[in-house]
Parts: sequence; structure tokens; C-alpha cells
Amino acid sequence: MPHTLTELVAGASPIVVEETRGYWEGTLAEELRVQTCDACGNRQMPWGPCCTRCLAQNLSYVKASGRGSVFSFTVVRQAIHPSFSQAVPYVVADIELEEGPIITSNVTDCPVEEVRIGMPVEAWFDNEVEDAFHTKLRLPKFRPIKG
Amino acid sequence: MSGKTAIAGVGATAFGKLPGRSAWSLQTEAVRLAIEDAGLAKSDVDALLTAPPLAEPLLLHAELLGGKLGLRTNYLSQKFIGGATAVALVAEAAMAVEAGLCEVAVCLYGENAKTGMPMLFGRAQMGRGQAPSDDIAYGLAGGPIMEARAAKRYMNEYGVTEEMLGSVAVSFRDHASRNPAATYRQPLTIEQYLENRYVSEPLRVLDCTIGASDGAVAIVVTSSDRARDLAKPPAFVAGFGVAANLQGLSDPESYISYPGARSSQTAYRMAGLEPEDVDVAQFYDCFTSTVLITIEDYGFCKRGDAGPFALEGNLGLGGALPSNTSGGMLSEANLVGWNVLAEGVRQIRGSSTSQVPDAEVCIVAGQGGFHAAHSTLLLTRGAA
Repeated sequence: MPHTLTELVAGASPIVVEETRGYWEGTLAEELRVQTCDACGNRQMPWGPCCTRCLAQNLSYVKASGRGSVFSFTVVRQAIHPSFSQAVPYVVADIELEEGPIITSNVTDCPVEEVRIGMPVEAWFDNEVEDAFHTKLRLPKFRPIKG
Repeated sequence: MSGKTAIAGVGATAFGKLPGRSAWSLQTEAVRLAIEDAGLAKSDVDALLTAPPLAEPLLLHAELLGGKLGLRTNYLSQKFIGGATAVALVAEAAMAVEAGLCEVAVCLYGENAKTGMPMLFGRAQMGRGQAPSDDIAYGLAGGPIMEARAAKRYMNEYGVTEEMLGSVAVSFRDHASRNPAATYRQPLTIEQYLENRYVSEPLRVLDCTIGASDGAVAIVVTSSDRARDLAKPPAFVAGFGVAANLQGLSDPESYISYPGARSSQTAYRMAGLEPEDVDVAQFYDCFTSTVLITIEDYGFCKRGDAGPFALEGNLGLGGALPSNTSGGMLSEANLVGWNVLAEGVRQIRGSSTSQVPDAEVCIVAGQGGFHAAHSTLLLTRGAA
């Protein structure tokens, strides 16, 4: 199952670094946080050390609604790394958040054949894992919005 | 700048599976072959520019290789911008020669990734805690998964079919079938393509570059005046460009267009040439979809028209734009664009195994970092 990917692959967890700490801390509270620039209001994902529009380093975040749509995706059929062989087929997707930025994740909770570009999805948070330095985090993933 | 420098020598080792050959052995062989091909001596070489091997990305690769070659140089450089490196290094060599820093520059890349260490993709090169290396947590491990999402969006946007993608692989395989150096030489039909399994939809195995090859390619760049007196017909460096969009797939535009749209404009402007002047193309064919998007970026087709253009056979010999005439990275070898560049020189010399008659202008593409960087080179048979 896709949500076990991080358990399947040793070292596959993201590694929390100073500039992404706030993002991953948010996931423990089931918050999807979009980084914002205090100077120009730019919203960006993934989190970085500065605003990609104005280079200011005073950055905050807004809590995203968790809703978005599939901007593009692929159904992975062959595990290029052997550790993923139990996980195929799975969907890697780029999700366009309601707040604007695009983030990469998985689409779960529906047959891979049913995923479409433009499909409305909502975030959910996978089981708590630890990165290589024992920092806890939960991966945000997306599932179709029913109805 | 245009036409002031030329490629005077090409050295290529065998490609494929070469057990018992170290990367250093392949690299030094390619350098020797390139110098010999130009009709030069080692003592003529006064610049070395290298791309480190993907399997062993050494920070001091140029220094180490130069030591093994016993060189003293007036210019030294090492560059890595992924698959855009080959063309960008030749551009840098041309600028260094034109600026008077050096006279004879050797550009080099060589690898034993097939039989030696496997290529490293991911955290080691992209950095700890950085996107996209963190995306391995979502099973985003491997080039095809990176590319497939762009291909999917591009195909959805313009109604590009899988047959159109496949026609790229079929045309390039036809070229490879005449190239004794190619890894895959068995002819390929569209029916066989459509039966091929998916790696990461919509990309099949046959849409993807050969995973890894052993081999090395070296290119000698010198002034046009000097090149005219050397052993082989010069391939004049008429124009080049290196452009980037470093937002990757965070930028919606990156799914359907590459920075090649800008690097090609720079190259055309420098050369005083238009897309209509190009006789033959060597695209960076890491994936079939990459070729289609680059055709549009380079102005050979309007947006969305490259698929039908390829399906009509225009990328084959006799078509409107014969492309990747050695078989490219899809069928000849994965030398990360360096074999594609070497074939561009052969077309200008008239020595390809799939020669385009009277080829005067060849365009060569490089693309690196999954849509991030793109390099373009225009080679001509006549000086500007």
C-alpha cells in the first residue's frame, strides 16, 4: 500500500532541516502549512530559506485548507528502486492547492485507474515516522473528495 | 562569437557494457582519440573542461583527470548541470578560446556506470532535506517518475497520443539499426512499442533512455582558423545558449515547456539562423516526451504539433527534421548527451551512419535536472 512506502525503504523519510522544520511540525498537528513571505505576500512550496519572488528572509506560513486538485500525476508500474516493488502500482501526483502552490504527494484511497487531471482531492496525514535524526513527522497525502 | 571557434576533434570509446574498464581508463582513451582525430598532439592541448561521472561525482574531477593525462593547461574547468553539461561545456570552451585564455580545449565526460558503480540519483546529489530529494518518501525514486508527470500534463493539454510518443522511439531505433556502436539495433515497430510495459505511465521502458552505459566522449574545441588546418572538416560553433528555470515542476509552465525555448533563441540570434535553416537535430532524448517538447521549444512546430509531426515520420531520414541519427540516448547509449553531441559533429562532417545529405546546420540539445537547465548548440559546415 502506498502509505507504507516510507516504512518499506530505509532512509526514505524526508529529512527535516532548519528551513523546513515549521512545515513538518505542522504535519504533526495535521496542518498543511504553505510558506508565505512577510515582505511581498508570496506563497511558496516547498519551504525555502528565502522568498523565491523577492528574496526576503522574513517568512511565515498560512494553514492551507488541505483541498486542491490533481495538476498532473503518474501511475508508477515498475519499482525503479527494488525497495518499492511491494508498493506498485502507486500514484505520484502534483497537487495544485487551493492557495496556489503545487506540491508533490501521493493520491490514495481510490483505484489508480480512476485518478484524473483536475480531480478534486483533500489532504490526510499518514502515520507518524521519524527522519534519520529522530525528528517526528507525518506525510501529507491526498484522496479524492467524495461527492 | 559566431563561427570564431570550431569542434576539430571527437573521441568516442566503445559504448555499452565494458567490464574491466575503469572510468579513468575510458576517459583517458577518449581524450587520446579526440586529440588524434583532430590531428593534434598532446602538447597542443592547453585547456581541460570536464563533467564528473555520475557514478562517482568527484569534486576535483578535472584536476584528477588532468593529472592522469599529465597536462599543463592555461584553462581548467569542471561543470555539472545534469544533461545540459555537454553542450554547455563546449560553449564554455568556445568562449575561453575566443577570449584568448587558451588555444586547444578538450571537453570530456566518461563513465563506467554500467559495470562499475551504479549511477546515484537522489539525496546524494540533490542535497539533504531538499525537494525533490525528500519526495522519495512518496516513491518518487527514478528519472521516469520525475518526467512522467510532465509528460502526462503535456499529453493531456494537447491531445498527444501514446503512438506519437512511440514514433520518436521507432524513428531513433531505425537510425540505431545502422550504427554499429549502438546498444539497441533491432528494428522496432509501433506495435511492439504499444505492447511494451509501462515504467511510470504514460512512459514505457521504450520511452526512457538506456539506464546506464559505460563509455566516454571527448571533444576538441579550437579557433576556426586553426581548425581549418587540422585533420577533419571543422564543425563551426555558430551559436549557443544555456538557460534555466530552477523552479522545476513547482512552476506550471515547466510541464509543457523547457528553458530550451530561451536557450535556442539565444543560439539562433548568435548564429543569425532560424529554425527553417536547421537540416538535422540531435535532441536530448532522455525521454520521448522530452523530444516532442523540445521540438516545440526550438520553433520547429507550434505548441502541441510535435506529436503529429513525429507520427508522420518527420524525425526519420527523409523527414522534415531527421533527428538523433545515431539512435540517441534511447537506442545508442546513455552518455548523458555526450554521444548525442558527438553525432552532431559527425553529421556536419558527413560521416554519420545515418547521414543527412548535405547537412549544413545541426542543432544539438542538452537538458539537465528534470526541466531545470537547457543548453542549445548550433553547428555549421560553413563558417558564418
